[in-house]
Amino acid sequence: MLKELFLGGKKELEVVDKMKKHMGFLCSACTTLKAAIENWDKELISSVSDLEREGDIVRREIFSNIYEGAFLPFLRPNICRFVEIVDNALDVTKDAAIEYTDLELDEETKDDCARIADISAKMCEMLLAAIETLSGRADLREKSLAIRIYEKKVDEIEFDLLKRLRTKEIKNFWEGKALSDFIHDLTSISDLIEDASDYLQIINISLR
Amino acid sequence: MQPIPIIASVLIALSVGSNDTSNALGICIGCRIISFRRAVILFGVFVLIGILLQGRKVMKTVGKDIVEMDLRILGISLLVSAILIIISNWRRLPVSTHQVIIGSLTGSGTALGADVNYGSLFEIFLSWALSPLAAFFASIMLYRAMEKTLSKLPFLQIERIIRVLLLASGIIIAYTTGANELATILGPIIHAGLIDETWAFLGGSFLVFLGAVLLSNRIIETIGSGITALDPYSGFAAQFGAGCCVFLFTSLGMPISTTYCIIGGITGIGVLKGTGTVSVNLLKKIALSWILAPALAFLTCFTIIRTLI
Repeated sequence: MLKELFLGGKKELEVVDKMKKHMGFLCSACTTLKAAIENWDKELISSVSDLEREGDIVRREIFSNIYEGAFLPFLRPNICRFVEIVDNALDVTKDAAIEYTDLELDEETKDDCARIADISAKMCEMLLAAIETLSGRADLREKSLAIRIYEKKVDEIEFDLLKRLRTKEIKNFWEGKALSDFIHDLTSISDLIEDASDYLQIINISLR
Repeated sequence: MQPIPIIASVLIALSVGSNDTSNALGICIGCRIISFRRAVILFGVFVLIGILLQGRKVMKTVGKDIVEMDLRILGISLLVSAILIIISNWRRLPVSTHQVIIGSLTGSGTALGADVNYGSLFEIFLSWALSPLAAFFASIMLYRAMEKTLSKLPFLQIERIIRVLLLASGIIIAYTTGANELATILGPIIHAGLIDETWAFLGGSFLVFLGAVLLSNRIIETIGSGITALDPYSGFAAQFGAGCCVFLFTSLGMPISTTYCIIGGITGIGVLKGTGTVSVNLLKKIALSWILAPALAFLTCFTIIRTLI
């Protein structure tokens, strides 16, 4: 009983575990997308959609736990916002995966996209580690900084990629739109992970 | 004449219930740590424990030490007090039950030429001035101590500790509401021999509980968010600082206001965070009622007795 009183309540621990699970789905989705791009394996796309669906279920469970009284009301909006951002990242990963099925990429573009997906996967792992630190004493700042550095790298790759793509000939409007949407969604994943990391930092410092 | 003090005490006990649940558990309810229903039950239980364990000293100060009691003093004082307290609650002003009751008793006693103990009265005035100041500084010290100790712990642990502490501070205030506030109401009628002590304790606590159930929503808004925006850290420091002060003054037998101690505590935290966060207008309004409440109670009782008797 004393442990429950002073070491974090059952409901709160449950929410943190589910946040990790939710984040784990995003990690798997990004890793799967990276593998799909690297190996031209379009069969993997359905697994990304499955992961997104599973993520939705966990998101609903988290909201339900919070509604039932987990965490002080002072913290609840930021926790919900964090979960929503991670869920958006999952949605965008799924969209990118679906858009990828219709694309024919040249080798150089494919390599750049795979690099972006790889960095996103690493950012996810870093964010997952950051959630773990919520229940420990470790400092979140290092992880937030690493996430920001990764995001900057994605921006640089995106900038070069778009510059190069503008010189390429596009056969028709829909081919161009599909490529543009795919790159936009692929690079949005890292933006969203960075936003989620910022919210995690706000949650962490709001009680200190 | 005999039923009048009893009826007036019933009305005041109901008002204390409506006014002081917000002092005790308003922050916990505001932070949704505890539901309103559970909060009022907890409040009622600790009010009863408070009066049973520590209420007698304050009861003696109010009921025996200030003024030589007679039925006319008692009837008019408590009736006027009840009316003033109900009007203040209606106007959503946190008013001190003690100030009104003591102002009324002194006013009636003076008008009737009864023996008023000015030494005791001076001690009470001093307690009224010192208690919010003590709560102001206690809350600041507590906040600083929390910042230094709690902030080093893991996030989840801090969250849990704050929850437990907020509830504990609410319970302390509920306890002192019984030991101090309810004792002030019951002191005069028990010492005048109008009611048996045990029945007064049980009935008084029940009426306070009933007031909390039926009427407390209105003042919770003013206390919880009207003076300065409260986060759980500030809420605990303000409430616990105030609770400790009331506890200390109760042990000395001084009838002091929990409401004003909490206001002192909340203001302390507001000042610590930056004076901009404290609503000066609301504080002015409260300060005015701090002076006006006992003065008005004194003058009303004095005038009524001089006119009618």
